[in-house]
Amino acid sequence: MIEVKNLKKNFGTLEVLKDITETIHDGEVICVIGPSGSGKSTFLRCLNMLEEHTGGEVIIDGEVLSSKNVNEIRKQMGMVFQSFNLFPHMTVLKNITVAPVKVSGISEQEAQKTAMQLLKRVGLEEKAEAYPEELSGGQKQRVAIARALAMNPRYMLFDEPTSALDPEMVGEVLEVMKGLAHSGMTLIIVTHEMGFANEVADRVLFMDEGYIVEQGTPTEIFNHPKEERTKAFLSKVL
Amino acid sequence: METLKLYLDGILVALQGVPMTVGVSLVAVLIGVILGLFVALMKMSKYKVLNIPAKLYVEIIRGTPMLVQALILAYGLPQLVQSLGGSFKWPYLLIPAMIVCGLNSAAYVAEIIRSGLQAVDKGQMEAARSLGMTHGMAMKLVIIPQAFKIVLPAFGNEFVTLIKETSVLSYVGVREILRRGTLYNAATFNTFQAYIGVAIVYMMLTIPLSKLVGLLEKKMSAGSVKKKRKNAALPPEFSGTMERGEVS
Repeated sequence: MIEVKNLKKNFGTLEVLKDITETIHDGEVICVIGPSGSGKSTFLRCLNMLEEHTGGEVIIDGEVLSSKNVNEIRKQMGMVFQSFNLFPHMTVLKNITVAPVKVSGISEQEAQKTAMQLLKRVGLEEKAEAYPEELSGGQKQRVAIARALAMNPRYMLFDEPTSALDPEMVGEVLEVMKGLAHSGMTLIIVTHEMGFANEVADRVLFMDEGYIVEQGTPTEIFNHPKEERTKAFLSKVL
Repeated sequence: METLKLYLDGILVALQGVPMTVGVSLVAVLIGVILGLFVALMKMSKYKVLNIPAKLYVEIIRGTPMLVQALILAYGLPQLVQSLGGSFKWPYLLIPAMIVCGLNSAAYVAEIIRSGLQAVDKGQMEAARSLGMTHGMAMKLVIIPQAFKIVLPAFGNEFVTLIKETSVLSYVGVREILRRGTLYNAATFNTFQAYIGVAIVYMMLTIPLSKLVGLLEKKMSAGSVKKKRKNAALPPEFSGTMERGEVS
């Protein structure tokens, strides 16, 4: 369970997150939507402390997130980035095994076995020995998902995973994510793919100007939005 | 014929200094890379106890001529120790010579490495940290290997520069290329031939080395992809997008 209490984040004088309180239960699939600059990505990055919050607290499974336990907690939280961030000097296989081996101390063989299973799951077994620069954007992102899954995390954070992709590659990545959603894993997804959010989310959070303005089931948000700002945003994107 | 022989002698004499010049340069560049990496990491640290000494070190080394540093270490230091009642003499002047070149190289290499580390996309650190790696682990496994590749050609250039710079060691009695030429001049008064010989020998070292560095640079920017091409999903022209070797 992830509990966020009165979370605030300033960049200098700029208030990006003003006051966020939210609880995310195990097994939930949460999609965070909202206009650019609304604080969606910052909110997500505060959950694994890639951004250090300036107020409030984040509690993961009862533990208050701090610089002391952040490395332990990050093992529980996989993250997938908009720009993939695969390690270009390592093969696909090595990208996936490096953290389990070096961080969790799993044996190389064991890690490779798991990695091959994960690659199969994302449909890229034959790319194990390839380097990231040889892959298409969609393939890179699927490898990035496999890399995050290799740590066997309880939670997965997705930061606009399809925004940097060519349109024809969006589908293959969303397909993998749907598979994860159906597997019962807890997912928090910042996305601009409204159709996807509508289909897989248990809950949709609409953010604007540093607040969660409205939240509810996809039907509530997409078909019966209550807040004016939600309506205005949806009328632009749908 | 007789004049031609004088030139040839000048070159041959200078050639005798090549092992010394190359040897000192190699040791220096080795010290430089290892020490330089630590200096670079210290300089980038957020802790003042680490970054202030590193900054000071780079400032002092870059702000003073290597000749002056060599004179201080080779002759000044033993004299200071003696004046304080101790007794200290360098067993070989080659030792302070190598130290000075190494310390010097480290300061420049540190700057090269720092620019290389900063050239690595910051998403790489974030990805590594998000997988639970500590900062040190991420540096070692993810950032430094990439930075190293970026700056490898710059290391080559540093080595070429160092070969020329070691000529100042002739002032502290190291019998490298210039020292050989100087001694030859003193013995024969064939001044022009002696120093032209020295210049030619330096060029014989630096020009092929520069060409080699250029070749390396080309090879690196072509990337590691070629040998793995059989697995590739993309057309070959895609591999040309990675431009390496430029350090700002």
